[in-house]
Amino acid sequence: MLYVSGEISGDSWGIFAFLCAALWNLPTIPALNSTDEVGAGQSIQKTYDLTRYLEHQLRTLAGTYLNYLGPPFNEPDFNPPRMTRAEMVPSATVDFELWRSLNDNARLAANYRAYTHLLCYLRSMDGQVAKAELRKNLGHFCTSLQGLVVSIASVMSSLGYPLPSPLGSANPTWAQGLGATSPHNDFLKKMDDFWLLKELQTWLWRSTKDFNRLKKKVPPTALMLRLEARGF
Amino acid sequence: MWDNPSLRCLLAIAFLHLLSLIYSQETGFPEAPGNLKCITHDLNRTICSWGATSSANLGLTYKICYTNSEPFSPVCIETEGKRADIPVAMGSTNIQITTLNASGTPLATETFVLPEENVSLIPLTPQILNLSADFSIYTLYLKWNDRGSVFQHELDASWQIQILRKETMETVTLINYDSKLTGKDSILSWNWTSDIPLECTSYCVKIRCYINEPYFTGRKEWSEWSPIRTVPEKDTKPNSAMVFPQDKVVLVGSNVTFCCLYNEGESIKYMKYGSKSYPLFRLSKWSSAIKVQNVSASISSGTNVWCSLVPDGLEGTVLFVGYAPDTPQNLNCETRTFITITCSWNPGRPTALYTQRQTKYILFERISRENVTCKVDELNKKHHCDFPVHANQNIYNFTLGASNPLGQAESSLLIDVNQRVHLETPDKFTVSANSSTNAHLSWYIPGNLIQIRLLCQIEISNSNSERQLNVSMAGAENSNYRARVDALHPYATYTFRVRCSASEHFWRWSKWSEEKKITTLEAPPARGPDIWRERSPVGETLTVFWKPLLPSEANGLILSHEVSCYPQEIMLKAHEVPVPLNSTEIKLGGNDCLIIVVAKNRAGSSPPSRITSVDLPSGNVKTELAIAKGNGIYISWHSDPNVTCGYTLKWCISSGSEPCTVDWEMFPSNATDAVIKSALFQPGVRYNFSLYGCKHNGYQLLQNIMGYMKELPPKVAPNFTVEETSSDSILVKWEDIPVEDCQGFLKGYILYFAKGEKGSSKTSFREEDKTEKNITDLTKKSLRILDLQGKTSYRLDLRAYTVGGIGPSKDLYVVTKENSVGLIIAILIPVAVAIVLGVVTSILCYQKREWIKETFYPDIPNPENSKALQFQKNICEGNTALKTLEMNPCTPNSVEVVETRSTVLKIEDTEIISPVADSELPEDGSDPETGSHVVVSYCPPIIEEEISSPPIDEPVGSSQVIYIDIQSMYQPQVNPEEEPEINFVTTAGYKPQMQLPINAMKMESHSPTEEDLDKTAGYRPQANTNVWKLDSPDSPVSIQSNNENGSFGSPCSINSRQFLIPPKDYEDSPSPNNTGWSFTHFFQNKPND
Repeated sequence: MLYVSGEISGDSWGIFAFLCAALWNLPTIPALNSTDEVGAGQSIQKTYDLTRYLEHQLRTLAGTYLNYLGPPFNEPDFNPPRMTRAEMVPSATVDFELWRSLNDNARLAANYRAYTHLLCYLRSMDGQVAKAELRKNLGHFCTSLQGLVVSIASVMSSLGYPLPSPLGSANPTWAQGLGATSPHNDFLKKMDDFWLLKELQTWLWRSTKDFNRLKKKVPPTALMLRLEARGF
Repeated sequence: MWDNPSLRCLLAIAFLHLLSLIYSQETGFPEAPGNLKCITHDLNRTICSWGATSSANLGLTYKICYTNSEPFSPVCIETEGKRADIPVAMGSTNIQITTLNASGTPLATETFVLPEENVSLIPLTPQILNLSADFSIYTLYLKWNDRGSVFQHELDASWQIQILRKETMETVTLINYDSKLTGKDSILSWNWTSDIPLECTSYCVKIRCYINEPYFTGRKEWSEWSPIRTVPEKDTKPNSAMVFPQDKVVLVGSNVTFCCLYNEGESIKYMKYGSKSYPLFRLSKWSSAIKVQNVSASISSGTNVWCSLVPDGLEGTVLFVGYAPDTPQNLNCETRTFITITCSWNPGRPTALYTQRQTKYILFERISRENVTCKVDELNKKHHCDFPVHANQNIYNFTLGASNPLGQAESSLLIDVNQRVHLETPDKFTVSANSSTNAHLSWYIPGNLIQIRLLCQIEISNSNSERQLNVSMAGAENSNYRARVDALHPYATYTFRVRCSASEHFWRWSKWSEEKKITTLEAPPARGPDIWRERSPVGETLTVFWKPLLPSEANGLILSHEVSCYPQEIMLKAHEVPVPLNSTEIKLGGNDCLIIVVAKNRAGSSPPSRITSVDLPSGNVKTELAIAKGNGIYISWHSDPNVTCGYTLKWCISSGSEPCTVDWEMFPSNATDAVIKSALFQPGVRYNFSLYGCKHNGYQLLQNIMGYMKELPPKVAPNFTVEETSSDSILVKWEDIPVEDCQGFLKGYILYFAKGEKGSSKTSFREEDKTEKNITDLTKKSLRILDLQGKTSYRLDLRAYTVGGIGPSKDLYVVTKENSVGLIIAILIPVAVAIVLGVVTSILCYQKREWIKETFYPDIPNPENSKALQFQKNICEGNTALKTLEMNPCTPNSVEVVETRSTVLKIEDTEIISPVADSELPEDGSDPETGSHVVVSYCPPIIEEEISSPPIDEPVGSSQVIYIDIQSMYQPQVNPEEEPEINFVTTAGYKPQMQLPINAMKMESHSPTEEDLDKTAGYRPQANTNVWKLDSPDSPVSIQSNNENGSFGSPCSINSRQFLIPPKDYEDSPSPNNTGWSFTHFFQNKPND
């Protein structure tokens, strides 16, 4: 329900971006085995755009959300140690060189897994927010993030990569695990929320770079030329 | 047993006996028992213990024989230890202790008497049965057995409970607790709430007892402390640092203590509540706390409390601070559909608690004993709850309960559902108009409304009216409702809307339905138009005018007007004149006819309006003036008995170059006046009205009227010219102002005139100069202004005025002509008089030449013989009222007289220095002290006699004569009574004879006394040298400067060369003379003429 309300009342750009991504990806998802580079190129571009948009959107959301959590979470120099509980949230703090050494498939799969986790967590966060406006913004962001997950899946399928093992929001095991380990303490919940936002930010930053790199690897212009050569 | 008083008494006696004997004689054996001590735990048995002198007691046994009282035989027991248990007896107990060796041989025997006072009552050490803790509410629960069964009867017991911190064994609290022992074992319980979370530190508890037996005379002591029991720790003991209390909800204003537990190797850096750091206090080795007083409402996610640990750690908790729910206010339950009852309320003060801590509401109905949990969206502030309507239940007794972690509140309401009907907004509202006066309305209301009647209100509004119509109808289930509205106006646009309520028990109107707008159908015009006609001057044509009908009369869109002419019941011709024309021309052809005008719209024609074309001849028609009244023009006329079908007042309003618009108004025959108002009337514009009387055979012009809606001042000034100018008059002529510029009825002209030249003070006249002439005779077109000065410029200003005010002015400058005759006469007359006087004087002088010679020029000039002076003296004699000329302190610089006779007059040089010369006169020459009278100064003549002997002193410095009169600066103020004297003096003809320096001419002046008046009134002979003392200290040379009559100069005879007034007279004058005269005086007055 909340997604619906967010979709209805969110800002037009978010809806537009999500719809674009979703509409674009819907026909491509069934064709998982397709290696059509035309679709891949455009998917990468759309995913890149969506990542950029989400980066921008998160900046606003994080500010509002951290203020909602109150001090010390909204203090600029607040940098608490990452606790074991927070490790449930997939970390983006992989060594840069190590990350670069991975192939596209591995990186895309890591992206896919991370956002699936993060999305699931974000949704659990949404129900506990006491501010209506913030809840609306969160719902809106979840919708956009859902679009990103679908987009990444689309890119992977269009490049011919298999989707990683289903650990997404649909996986009840993971969701239960998250629920079981979710802290009883409100302060720890806040801390987790803080880490979630931080991880999201890092992941989006990393994804932007990844998709930019991938975009350069599979340039849409080249694809267009190839399309023309095929007589379209 | 202790209840029996006789037994108690016996026991007491036994104790007393024991007491007397307790100090038994010691045998001196080392094995002899001694130092007997006895206590009781239960007031039933006494435990006695003793000591022995010898420490080596191997193999020794003791035989104790005790007797409570004499009649009883002693009871003996043997024991190996130094302790025996004997029953408690009344009074005192005799105790004999015999020490036996191993073989049973008595070694020593000791006898004691034990009184009750020497027995101590020490209760048994209590045992804690159970110690538990509720960490959420920081409370410890303690349970123990009171062992009441030990005692045979009821007793008061006191308990002391001590709570200590486990680590430091520091006492946290020590509490006394009283109970009653009932003779059987009871489990006592007690709880204690800590002000800091129990997790913060470990606690341990111990307890002891005290029995208060009032009849026991021995010592009563506290029992031993029970063994310490430690508060069990929480099941989920954290293995990492933590902050307590966790996620607690407290009331605003509470004091809350937070503690931070940390592990070995860690230390606490700071601890904050919100963003504020608080001072830490240490609870234990691994626990520190802060205390926050009077907490305020937390933010929506709760206030964070956290501690920062060294080296690297952060732990926290969230505190939710809020309020208990307020009593639900304005609880209101009503039904809209008879399917559910909706209750709504105002939650009152916000609790500042959200999500799972927000207020939960439960609606409970007592009669049906049903309750409903209300889903309240705290964020959206919507507070309502739906309760199902039960069949056959009309009364509902609701209780709304509100609860949150901090408390609960409730509010109740009893309703009859039939009296609380608030219907849904009428839906599907339609309006249809199928006639010019009716409309049909239809709407839908959801709900099962069979059991009630509806009252619906239909609002009908158009541009200028609004009305409500109430209709009552039977309710139905989810049905459409219909209504018909009558009495609508044809061809009118109406807006409809409807709302409904229950008819029998009105509770509340529903919301208004949406608005619907319709226009009714057209109907024939309600009446014929107002008509008028005007015959052309020749009479050949007739112009018929009509006024457009009002929309309320037109009943539709007027398409055309049909104009017909009926000469003698036969229609001459019918014109169809389309809208918007409002007049038409009919050729009469010499015949009069009856004009009929009919307005037509799509629905039909109006009733006809009739008017005859006949104009009756009118006699001498007068023109009268109307009066402006309010925003209209008041017109009155004389009633004419021949007028039978009313009066018509016609006027024409022209706008610019277009032909004027004919307008008219009709009045009944009995009317004699009217105020004509029109939106087209403008102030300052003249309107001409014609009053027609309607007679049985035609219309007759009765009167012409002119009027203004509002009179204004004339727009322009009258155009005027100067026709004729003379030396003392001006003839002015002016022209009429055009009617359109008058802006009102002209009342007259105002002519202002005053001296003035072109270019100076053009803006306005000076009030004191201007002369005003009001010309009210409007027929007069010229005016002669008289009594003007010749050769003078005059400014003329002519203005017209009306009731509305004075119009603008127009200026003219005119110069009057010079009066030449007067000037000639003014020159000629003085010349003629002078000539005549000269001739007469010459004749007289000629005739009296001998006398003149004898008098003025004798052969030997002897002042004593001077007849002239005698003559003067005689003249002055007898005229004591005359005032003499004052001697001014003007003294010749040097006078030398050579006298040939015995009376030699010697005048030495005298230098007169006036102190006034040193003092400055005011710049304007005013002297306030001399303003009250006139002092005429004179200068004594210089004696220019032939000097026969050489001069003794220096010669006279100068022969020039200067006349100085300080009064020349003032206008002389002459008393009218003294005027003749001045005239007299004037005729005396003095002549200045001496020069006098200005700065040396301040002299004291004295008025003559009464007796000296005769001397001062006239000329004095100068031969009186005995009193002539110019060089005396009393001479006018005196430097007294405060003389207010000080004057300059001295009067000199014109004809005489002799001194006229001896200075002595001045010196003796006690008061100043107010009369004076001088030559200069004459000249000074001259310019003033």
